[in-house]
Amino acid sequence: MPATVTGTPASARETRPAPATDVRRRSMRRRTRWIGLAFAALPLGVYAIVVLVPLAQSVQYSFYKWDGVSASTWVGFDNYVSFVTDPVLRSTLGHVLVLIGFFALLPIILGLLSAALLTRAKQPGMAVYRWIFFLPQVMTTVVIALVFKRIYAPDGPLNEALRAVGLDSLARTWLGDFTWALPALGLIGTWVTFGFCMVLFISGTSAIAPELYEAARMDGAGPVREFFAVTLPGLRGQLAIALTLTITAALRTFDLVWITTHGGPGTSTLTPAVALYKAAFQNPQVGLAAAIGVVMAALCLVIAVVITRVSERD
Amino acid sequence: MYSKMERVVNYVVLTIMAALVLFPVGTFVVSALSPDRSGKPVAFSQLKWDNFATAWQDAGFSRAMTVSLIIAVCVVAGQVLLALLGGYAFGVLGVVGDKVLFPIVLLGMMISLEAIIVPLYYQFRTMGLTNTLPGIILIHLGMGVPFGIFWMRAAFRALPRSAFESAELDGAGSVRMLRSMAAPMARPAIYTLILLSFMWTWNDYFLSLVFLHGANQTATVALGVFQGKYVTQINLMAAGGLIVAAPVLVLYVAFQRKFISGMLAGAIKE
Repeated sequence: MPATVTGTPASARETRPAPATDVRRRSMRRRTRWIGLAFAALPLGVYAIVVLVPLAQSVQYSFYKWDGVSASTWVGFDNYVSFVTDPVLRSTLGHVLVLIGFFALLPIILGLLSAALLTRAKQPGMAVYRWIFFLPQVMTTVVIALVFKRIYAPDGPLNEALRAVGLDSLARTWLGDFTWALPALGLIGTWVTFGFCMVLFISGTSAIAPELYEAARMDGAGPVREFFAVTLPGLRGQLAIALTLTITAALRTFDLVWITTHGGPGTSTLTPAVALYKAAFQNPQVGLAAAIGVVMAALCLVIAVVITRVSERD
Repeated sequence: MYSKMERVVNYVVLTIMAALVLFPVGTFVVSALSPDRSGKPVAFSQLKWDNFATAWQDAGFSRAMTVSLIIAVCVVAGQVLLALLGGYAFGVLGVVGDKVLFPIVLLGMMISLEAIIVPLYYQFRTMGLTNTLPGIILIHLGMGVPFGIFWMRAAFRALPRSAFESAELDGAGSVRMLRSMAAPMARPAIYTLILLSFMWTWNDYFLSLVFLHGANQTATVALGVFQGKYVTQINLMAAGGLIVAAPVLVLYVAFQRKFISGMLAGAIKE
């Protein structure tokens, strides 16, 4: 399904006009396909050892209770059931929903808004802006976490700005606050992804046929109608990519939380990935950790499939 | 059709958005140069450039940056080799069973590290590969195979068929054809792959945190430890952050086009 997102014609080669069916040629083709397998053997082997085998083992581990040292015991679906029964683990899914609002919805709205406001014309200086908008994408999350630790610090720029305008009562230790830590983390995600969404949508609108806009104008559509009738449908593919990437990023948040809050205060910013890390390596409940990993992978897959399906439906 | 008014609106919107991105980074850079522990901004003449040297020494970055560099260089080299082999096989030669194999490879782009990290760690531990550079390099390579194959396969397919056909008529073998013709022709795609692969490896935190400790710490993990110890010295923490971010940022400044087009095209990765 990723191939359809980028529109790579998967069957480009097969649809080439078939050469004169000549036996010698066909056997040669068969031979090259075996040579092809020999070429692909090394990458496929590494991939199988590192990804496929552990993936199967994850599923296997998830049915056991194991502390990483002593013998393991079969517990069936118990580890999965704890997503429902364990309030802390269950709360991580709620946190993910909040994060999705900040990582996915807010950046996409911002991106669409700016794509709507911008004229679809080549802009001198656009390269510089694009460079800036993509900057958060190339910075390692550890550094981004430090950047915002500074912003949110008790005497950091955010609190000083609040004090400067007389809102002292609002100033607080943002990342140490039970209510505000999660939204504060979420806003970091917004900062990271909105530029990417913007660039994606701007490049998408420039690919929409100008005739569609002219037709809409002729029908007397205002800018708002034009946006909903032409721009939004035209950006369907880009929206699908942006949604898939940002929602899975929200679901998988680890670095940011680990560097800034360790999931705290209390468990107020605990995400599934942080819960997985704690369960796997700090007070080993290896089976539970594997189950969290399997659930996360399944959710990512379902999200990607659903979004792709919906975006391709007419 | 494109009035002055529209142009002004465009620049206003773009500039506001750009300022939102740049402001946090800007305050961070200012903090890194401040003589004040809390990172307060100061006049240009008072800027303290020593912060970088102090942070470099206190965080043990000489060692950690070297480790990161070794890992990144090995991963990039291995990645390109695996991607060339796999991409050429799936894109040009065809592979026995590719109707099954290729979807399995693509599936790998959707599988997150979290889904495999637990068994990976415990299996590698029994094999004595945890806390070793070859171990983590192998994992990076395996995780990178799906994107590598996807990327190079597309690049090889975009090459004109006629080149391959005439080389085939000349009796060139598959290895020679890949080495002397296909790979050189696909050079732009290879460069993009090198940059993206370097960035993903250098920026990794989770994998290094799980697999490497002590002397084998990567720069990102060392930075995490450093900032935990220097909570009150924001200026040093910021200086350390800039040091770790620098290699990728320098590449980004030099090759911004390749980065952006590669990341937009490869957005399906992750």
